[in-house]
Amino acid sequence: MALRVWASSAANALKLSSASTTHLSPAAPLSLSRCFSTVLDGLKYASSHEWVKHEGSVATIGITEHAQDHLGEVVFVELPEPGAAVTQASGFGAVESVKATSDVNSPISGEVIEVNTKLTETPGLINSGPYADGWMIKVKPSNPSELDSLMGPKEYTKFCEEEDAAH
Amino acid sequence: MRIPRKLEVWRMGTMNYLNALKLQEKLASDRKACKISDTLLSLQHPPTYTLGKRRTDHNLLVSEDELKTMGAELHYTQRGGDITYHGPSQAILYPIISLRDIGLGARNYVEKLELTMINLASTYGVQARPGRKCETGVWVGERKIGAIGVRISSGISSHGLAFNINPDLNYFKHIVPCGLADKEVTSLTREANAELPTEEVIEEQLIASFAQLLNYDNIEWKDNASAS
Repeated sequence: MALRVWASSAANALKLSSASTTHLSPAAPLSLSRCFSTVLDGLKYASSHEWVKHEGSVATIGITEHAQDHLGEVVFVELPEPGAAVTQASGFGAVESVKATSDVNSPISGEVIEVNTKLTETPGLINSGPYADGWMIKVKPSNPSELDSLMGPKEYTKFCEEEDAAH
Repeated sequence: MRIPRKLEVWRMGTMNYLNALKLQEKLASDRKACKISDTLLSLQHPPTYTLGKRRTDHNLLVSEDELKTMGAELHYTQRGGDITYHGPSQAILYPIISLRDIGLGARNYVEKLELTMINLASTYGVQARPGRKCETGVWVGERKIGAIGVRISSGISSHGLAFNINPDLNYFKHIVPCGLADKEVTSLTREANAELPTEEVIEEQLIASFAQLLNYDNIEWKDNASAS
């Protein structure tokens, strides 16, 4: 599995396209980590492998490249309704892959203002573009200081390495 | 230094589906709070049909009333996977373990559940294989011998695997098993040429196979009488 992730990351860096590479939004710079899972600068990360991008009064949330790789092909996504409340570290939805449903937790608290409806028809966007087209919800944060308790890119990279080394 | 990993196994005998579900929810909550160590439920169900989170009830070919007449229950669950049947002589393992603690993602965990059944089958000379894409489970040729449906919440697993030792395969005729039409279902009894030991022995071997693949150092056994 490590070889495939490495190849995917290397292909990203060289801007080669293939079915299994992650499509990154051009605006987001990337840092390649030793564990070869793509981690983006400018985002904050939760230990349950969700990312959040805070821009003014809107925070966009999704799952990381590391998470989608460990899940396998996503075939179903369950999302909340706009208007629903989310709480830091609590579940807001779920994804299904390889006959396993995995809860997805929100890195911050707030109110859901938009959900990515494309994921209903094309759940695989989470695999092909976890930081871009595979975004899951947009939230109006109720407590922006919660972002301080999340990990930055370097911390999260190290966290992934340690977690992967554990088995 | 590696901390020894312990698996606590509860052998529950035949257990009603909803009771097993409630027990799993309690154990998962306790595991999340680190009140208990990794736990595995080993049991069988009375005739029961279950659906996963996607609620694919178009794969149920009879009405709920007809199911009741047959003496079978139907339950909607939060697990992954499609529709399936559980019943006597089908070995069920529900591991309630912290995947997060061992850095195991859904894909790797499900692969280990498949291998658990594949390794057990090979003990009896049965060559089983994992499913191809979109066919998660364990197959002997084009016949399905083991099914998987898992839920992962806060990094803790629940639900698990179902391995056909010798269930009445006619029950599978009332569903499109796992949503795969034109695929047969089979059992260890059908596929093995060797004589099989008792179901209890096979279930123990299945548990041992799981424990080995998940690198547990010791197993603590609790049977129905002592499990509270």
